[in-house]
Amino acid sequence: MKKAHKKALSQFIAVAAMAGASSFALAADNIKIALAGPVTGPVAQYGDMQFTGAKMAIEQINAAGGVNGAQLEGVVFDDACDPKQAVAVANRIVNEEIQFVVGHLCSSSTQPASDIYEDEGILMVTAASTSPEITSRGYELVFRTIGLDSLQGPTAGKYIVEQVKPEKVAVIHDKQQYGEGIATAVRDVLIEGGIDVPVFEGITAGDKDFSALISKLRQSEVDFVYYGGYHPELGLILRQAAERGLDVGFMGPEGVGNSDISAIAGEASEGLLVTLPKAFDEDPKNAKLVEAFKAKNEDPSGPFVFPAYAAVQIIADGIKLAGSTDTEEVAEALRSNSFDTPTGVLSFDEKGDLKDFNFVVYEWHADATKTALTE
Amino acid sequence: MPESLFYFIQQLLNGLTVGSTYALIAIGYTMVYGIIGMINFAHGEVYMIGSYIAFTAIAALALFGIEFLPLLIIGAFIVSMIVTSAYGYSIERVAYRPLRGGNRLIPLISAIGMSIFLQNLVRLAQGSRDIAMPTLITGGVSIGPEDAFNANLSYMQMIIFAVTLITMTLLTLFITRSRMGRACRACAEDLKMTNLLGINTNGIIALTFVIGAALAAVAGVLLGMYYGVINPYIGFMAGLKAFTAAVLGGIGSIPGAVLGGLLLGVTEAMTAGYFSSEYKDVVAFSLLILVLLFRPSGILGRPEVEKV
Repeated sequence: MKKAHKKALSQFIAVAAMAGASSFALAADNIKIALAGPVTGPVAQYGDMQFTGAKMAIEQINAAGGVNGAQLEGVVFDDACDPKQAVAVANRIVNEEIQFVVGHLCSSSTQPASDIYEDEGILMVTAASTSPEITSRGYELVFRTIGLDSLQGPTAGKYIVEQVKPEKVAVIHDKQQYGEGIATAVRDVLIEGGIDVPVFEGITAGDKDFSALISKLRQSEVDFVYYGGYHPELGLILRQAAERGLDVGFMGPEGVGNSDISAIAGEASEGLLVTLPKAFDEDPKNAKLVEAFKAKNEDPSGPFVFPAYAAVQIIADGIKLAGSTDTEEVAEALRSNSFDTPTGVLSFDEKGDLKDFNFVVYEWHADATKTALTE
Repeated sequence: MPESLFYFIQQLLNGLTVGSTYALIAIGYTMVYGIIGMINFAHGEVYMIGSYIAFTAIAALALFGIEFLPLLIIGAFIVSMIVTSAYGYSIERVAYRPLRGGNRLIPLISAIGMSIFLQNLVRLAQGSRDIAMPTLITGGVSIGPEDAFNANLSYMQMIIFAVTLITMTLLTLFITRSRMGRACRACAEDLKMTNLLGINTNGIIALTFVIGAALAAVAGVLLGMYYGVINPYIGFMAGLKAFTAAVLGGIGSIPGAVLGGLLLGVTEAMTAGYFSSEYKDVVAFSLLILVLLFRPSGILGRPEVEKV
């Protein structure tokens, strides 16, 4: 009796899972890839970007003959960007014996779900979670095709060393995790590049008066300033620097790159350098792919569309290289090879992060537009 | 070493500018404390409202085609001082007067509530994003060599010094020479006795709040124009700094508030200039603790005398 009851329950779970999961390519020996992310909830539009990119990749790989003779099959799971639901989704994926996951989207969902995947030997590639935490726990089967919050510093530092070539640089930050982290990374790259950094100090977020700091920068005769933090403080610094005749170049991370900085600093925001993730859909190499999205009436411009496409592609390429669907072998193949994807040539480090993810240096203009300075 | 001298002058000027505005706000704290012995924690928000009204007034005047700068600025001062004074009066009437005579802790809680209410009111009405205004007064004078480091003093900083000085002089004249000022001083001396002698103490207390709010409005207009950016949260930090200045100088004493404000501003600028911006608040508050250790009633404060 007890056994029958258990069977009925598992059937019920299977039916429920089928109702929630929509399959869209059916064949006997398909390789299933779970696409996990928010279909509903407040950030569903970001989920759409991820699904759009991943589905396009599955379609194109299948059209080109599939993977080792098998077709890929994408199965969508909705975690609503809710950590609790993400764990439930992860358990369902385990139950359905799916080996590969593209997702999740929100770092807070990806983190608990990845615990389950790692334990159950499922390979996960996230195309959107940028928290450094996720790959810092020594997991073997966790990868990501998007940059980390902490990657911007080296990009900015390299650009300053190679392109701006200043003699003395001041590095200022707002003493917060994000800002100070990036500023420290920039300072290290600058010192390595032989540039003098006489001023490295923090300000208090929310401060309004930077006159003492600006006088100090004038006196120390720096010819370039890097700021790690957000736009309200940098806006005021730019404005007060212009009023006080501190005529040097400024640079900041993506946290300063929005239209508010032009509203605050006005003319003083002209010429500010900003690092932002690359707009993959504007890359001429991807013109054909962009056409394919537009032909299906889908928007290729979201930040996660191309990383999701790349996530599916590296799973397919990894299976091809490993010659099997054994996740440990595929993970090994991902670590030891590089992959030519629409987001560039990708290779992974020990942690499963991209060795380099392109942040692009933009020149900001007073009318809140920007022009790309690097590839 | 003339260059280091000019650097010192520059940081001194930076500190005095910030300090003057701390002083203007600190007077609001100190006057209210001097009379009813209560700390009006909503005072920082009154300053913030003063800034918002100044921005609105300047935008409205510009909309009517008035572009003559002095008129624009004087207009902003007048409108902001009147409306902010009305706020000051209303706050006292609504949140403090009904609670007077009870435990001293109760109006304090009411003040904190008022502060949260005002901050959220502005946030809902104006949005929580920064509002920016173009720089109205540009330029300044440089002191020192052309080719090396020179101290510069912007016209806006000069206006801040001038307006602070004029306001302080007028306030001192009012307190020391006028009948109302004498009533204020009497209230500060002994509230109950003053009431017995036939002075409307409720009116005097309301007047104190109005004067404090008007001075906060002056600071709001000046700092709004100086920095060009405001948001609903500026009142909190400004209020905290001004309160510190008031305690440093001796709470209850008007010259003490001015001295405390200037001292705090200069200490901050010197720390940021010679040491690091990171330690600016640490040093400023350490100074406060040191002063209170050796002079518990502040630099110019009178020691508390038990009234019999």
